[in-house]
Amino acid sequence: MPLAWYSPQPERQEIMNEAFFDKKEYKPLDRVDGRLKVTGAAKYSAEYPLPNMAFAVLVGSRIAKGTIKSIDSKAAERAPGVLAVISHLNAIKVPGYQPKGEHPSEPSTNGQPLRVFFDNKIVSNDQPIVAVVATSLEKAQFGASLVKIQYTKEQHKTDLEANAGDAKLAASAKKNPKSPTADYERGQKDAFESAPVKFEAEYVLPTEVHNPMELQSIIAHWEADNKLTVYDKVQGTKMTQKNFAKEWNIPEENVKCIATFVGGAFGNGLHNWPHETAAIIAAKQVKRPVKLVLTREQMFTMVGYRPRTWQKIQVGATKEGKLVAINHQSIGQTSSYEEFTESTLMQTRMMYASPSVSTRYRILPLNLATPIWMRGPGEATGAFALESAMDEVAHAIGMDPIDFRLANYTESDPDKNMPWSTKYMRECYEEGKKRIGWENRKLKPGEVRDGEWLVGYGMGTGTFGANRNSATVHAELDKEGNLVMHCAITDIGPGTGTAMVQIASNTTGIPTDKITFHLGNSEFPNAGLQGGSSTVNSVGPAVLAACNALKEQLITMAAAKGNSAFTSAKPDDLMFDKSELQLAGKSAKTTLADLFKQNNIEKIETTNESKPDENRNKYSMNAFSMHFAMVHVHPFTGQVRVKKIVCCADAGTIVSPKTAESQMIGGATGGIGMALTEDAVMDHRFGRYVTKDLGDYHVPVHADVPDIDVYFVNKPDLLADPVGSKGLGEIAIIGVAPAIANAVFNATGKRVRELPITPDKLI
Amino acid sequence: MIQFQYERASTAQAAVNALTNNSNAKIIAGGTNLVDLMKRNVMAPNKLIDINALPLREIRQQDGKISIGAMALNSQVADDKLIMEKHPLLSQALNAGASAQIRNMASVGGNIMQRTRCHYFYDTALPCNKREPGSGCGALEGMNRMHAVFGTSEQCIAVHPSDMCIALVALDATVLVAGPKGERRIPFEEFHRLPGNQPEKDNTLQNNEMILSVEIPDNAFSKNSHYMKIRDRASYAFALVSVAAALNIDGKVIKEARLAMGGVAHKPWRLKEAEKALVGKPATEETFRQAAEIAMQGAKAYKHNAFKLKLGPNVIVEALKNAAGLV
Amino acid sequence: MDKNKSNKKPEKEDHQESRRDFLKASSILTAIAVAPATVAKAAEYNLGEKISAAFETTPVNLTINGAKKQLAVEPRSTLLDVLREQLNLTGTKKGCDYGQCGACTVHVNGQRVLSCLSLVVMQEGKEVTTIEGIAKGDELHPMQKAFIKHDGFQCGYCTPGQIMSGIACINEGHAETKEDIKEFMSGNICRCGAYPNIVKAIQEVKNGGQKS
Repeated sequence: MPLAWYSPQPERQEIMNEAFFDKKEYKPLDRVDGRLKVTGAAKYSAEYPLPNMAFAVLVGSRIAKGTIKSIDSKAAERAPGVLAVISHLNAIKVPGYQPKGEHPSEPSTNGQPLRVFFDNKIVSNDQPIVAVVATSLEKAQFGASLVKIQYTKEQHKTDLEANAGDAKLAASAKKNPKSPTADYERGQKDAFESAPVKFEAEYVLPTEVHNPMELQSIIAHWEADNKLTVYDKVQGTKMTQKNFAKEWNIPEENVKCIATFVGGAFGNGLHNWPHETAAIIAAKQVKRPVKLVLTREQMFTMVGYRPRTWQKIQVGATKEGKLVAINHQSIGQTSSYEEFTESTLMQTRMMYASPSVSTRYRILPLNLATPIWMRGPGEATGAFALESAMDEVAHAIGMDPIDFRLANYTESDPDKNMPWSTKYMRECYEEGKKRIGWENRKLKPGEVRDGEWLVGYGMGTGTFGANRNSATVHAELDKEGNLVMHCAITDIGPGTGTAMVQIASNTTGIPTDKITFHLGNSEFPNAGLQGGSSTVNSVGPAVLAACNALKEQLITMAAAKGNSAFTSAKPDDLMFDKSELQLAGKSAKTTLADLFKQNNIEKIETTNESKPDENRNKYSMNAFSMHFAMVHVHPFTGQVRVKKIVCCADAGTIVSPKTAESQMIGGATGGIGMALTEDAVMDHRFGRYVTKDLGDYHVPVHADVPDIDVYFVNKPDLLADPVGSKGLGEIAIIGVAPAIANAVFNATGKRVRELPITPDKLI
Repeated sequence: MIQFQYERASTAQAAVNALTNNSNAKIIAGGTNLVDLMKRNVMAPNKLIDINALPLREIRQQDGKISIGAMALNSQVADDKLIMEKHPLLSQALNAGASAQIRNMASVGGNIMQRTRCHYFYDTALPCNKREPGSGCGALEGMNRMHAVFGTSEQCIAVHPSDMCIALVALDATVLVAGPKGERRIPFEEFHRLPGNQPEKDNTLQNNEMILSVEIPDNAFSKNSHYMKIRDRASYAFALVSVAAALNIDGKVIKEARLAMGGVAHKPWRLKEAEKALVGKPATEETFRQAAEIAMQGAKAYKHNAFKLKLGPNVIVEALKNAAGLV
Repeated sequence: MDKNKSNKKPEKEDHQESRRDFLKASSILTAIAVAPATVAKAAEYNLGEKISAAFETTPVNLTINGAKKQLAVEPRSTLLDVLREQLNLTGTKKGCDYGQCGACTVHVNGQRVLSCLSLVVMQEGKEVTTIEGIAKGDELHPMQKAFIKHDGFQCGYCTPGQIMSGIACINEGHAETKEDIKEFMSGNICRCGAYPNIVKAIQEVKNGGQKS
């Protein structure tokens, strides 16, 4: 047996210190699940072949409000292959349908979630009211077309503007006056009225729909009477497990939720929706696994949306460009049965050094399904108004919009009266200006041309809380140096697995190809939702903790075997160099194989939880972004072409530069959609959407998207979390739409305050 | 989708017979529109007659015209050397429509036969006289931003969605069709119809007729033509307004002109009066602006599509400028 | 509906008027929404005595990823649903089912088409290639490698369609310029917004002279 310890060559020692102990730089890494995704081997929710599978298709209501008078299901029941036609008339009782006031999802919204097949009430158009279950998808679809339903109609309300007078304060605001939805005042109440420069405008953001490419899908499988497995397209496996355990009154450990791959979600998987329960009911009733995939139209009506929001903003400033007051109010849609709220007005309170600020957030219950957070929820909506208004005020006082913003830069959070944990926006202004070519911008709109096209430059800023939740990771290290981790977190696309592998590799020195991160399964250790840009900030520290715990075990093992160099070592001192273990500044070294052999073990393992700490009470923690756009606008045809976007982000440590850049590019693309193309149009006579597929609801295509240049400040925020990350998913989109709207104004002199900026609004 | 019988026709005559024997049968070629409509229960033929085996894919020059088989694929025509050389307008219009995949599936005949994309036509929960005669026109007082401004009726204000057809109507194409009584030729402008009191009828083809080919007479427009399509995103969307413009310019004077618009009527909308206004005039922006004004005479806007009255003439001018090489 | 109604009333009144008309047409207080008449009629036709015949499946012979297959399908079954639900070739994705997103793109006889709008019965004798069929054993297709290298995806759901489309885009000769690629790839929607990276991947394969 070779000696366990030996002294390496001195020059080698130096190299190792540099390479392994200065673990600051994260290098771009190909996505760890890339091969599965490019070969079609990645399995999404509807792609698990279970024996004896049945297929369910949902029939939606054709009125927006009223009651079901009758359901004629005879023809459907007689149709070949149809196993069941399920509605409130014959659905089994769901034991845990929540009593009023309780909501099954986390975090909770106020109200009563829609209980599918519960009663004959219609509360929104295309509400799921019947499920047809058959032996094949085609047969289920045909069966669904045969169901005849009669309704008793009641007068519905779906129009935000027409019913704005009924808007109300959210219950959350009444309960907690410090809630983001509560009325807010600081400074002088009538400061706006006496400001030297007064600006006032209204902005409208239409209903937008997440529309991930994967249709919402679930396979519900009762493996025993009280044992349920769901392959479900969700953003939280633990949330789903808890909700369905409660809904079906069975122990949590009897519910398993698998969401290994999620084909995009952008927020619509943050809630468990009626179609999921419908599939579970159907599976119970036909005693077979049931697959249910929504249609693209149903993606508009059954799994949430970004609510149409009206905003009015007043900005008072001095002629020199100092803000005096901002008053900002908004009204957003919600359903008649749940109070959906979002933080539309939060950044107005803290983004700029305005001595006086007031916000008024209201919701309007309508005969629509409940909205749900959509990428950059609230903040993206609010930023459209705030950042457009900042541009408008800068224009009114003849100031460069960047100079105007810098004149009102805040060095601490004026809302919470706390220092920022970190804020590096000045770097973003500088870098963004340079990269977009801001010097080519003219203060006066319509002055720059490229052939027939008008050229404009604009920018907008964004911010989102550096959220962090508790998370737990299990890690296992074998004698070959393979590190395998498990966590219940999902990956809807940002590259969570890749990021976690990078954190683990960075922490341990184990090469990335020897590290595996398993996710998307409720049987794995606890993690919250993949939402609110919190994943790296929450799960990353748990990975860190688990890696350090493993290292501690190794140190203890080594020390116990009489290696004195290890007795006082700390996890940070220990790194892997291939299969060897190396101590910083020491010449002590061993191999993993030997250490495991000496201790007569095959592997070591650990489970570690990481939680937010008390720094959260001392600092205001936010990620910031800044987006710059250069657009061409055709003066006669109204076409807008975004020619270049520069995204700058102060998001703390960037642990996976490659996937992080992609995330920023994706956010900018979503922002192009917000600014220029997306609009879920409703015919309020029927309370029914008319643009409800990917042909009519325009998300950006290849030809809409220019080169997108991404700059990360990449400075750690170690107050926010030990990884130093502040989150990226939301700030990637927040501020993009106003940047483009501001660029369009700079190109044309036309200010569009109701999105999207389609050609008809510019001619 | 309902279950249906499926049959492969081996000759055009067999297809025509099958249509004659069953008024609820439909021809399927690429299926890009029909299968979509069947999935949504907007159309429910009980029999599909597959004509893919018919020898109708050829594009050939003959006696002063180019004949394009009804089964020629949209992508095949768009990339065809003869078409690109003689009728670049058609190639351009084809490439402005749908996506590369759809153009690889969709036939020329099917493109001509495609139905409107009106939201109300597509949603069986909403009224539509085209889908359900007598149920009302949902668009008339509804969300009619995408709808027609020319030739509408109280029954229907839908538009024909094709790009290819706008070029074909401008190029004076003829549609050769086969029916129980043999073949006949329909001038392209007469092929599609206005809704009037029978919006359920898109065109003048009889139920038991089928398209064999489209013929385009030789012309002198290949140097100066342009198809311009304005839409809500940069690609893969239906037109708000599109214009096919073709000029025969002698020196600086316009000898001949062809103009047609898409996104504005229940049929590809030929602008003959505007064409007349161009002939004999210099190819200048001013000439084009005058013609554009004439083109929009008689246009009538609805609540959400008034912008087309302004966008329309602008696009005409821009298309003509591009055709004339002024841009 | 009242056909003689004037269009010149103020908007609001018009709105209510048309609403009343619609209600009238649907028997005042009870709106009867039934299966669309077209479907009901056809269903009647099919569900009578012809029921057994109508639901018989049709044999289809075709080649999928090089393997000959004899399938028995309903005429209404799409290539997409048969690939995913019968053959467990789930790499081909359903994103919209209406030909509006490109996620279901496959090659039929070497051409990129949408499997969601393709009836399987119409593929008799054809060669279908899906994402599962482009790698040579463990050796990825150059386009697959380029997608990994350039991070041409996030959630991965549109990826198989983008890759199949990208390969065809080059073969068609529509990848000569970046602008061309963007235009001829616009039938493949990526909601995560990986477009610029996808374009880079296609450019790299194009410049490497790679063909499928």
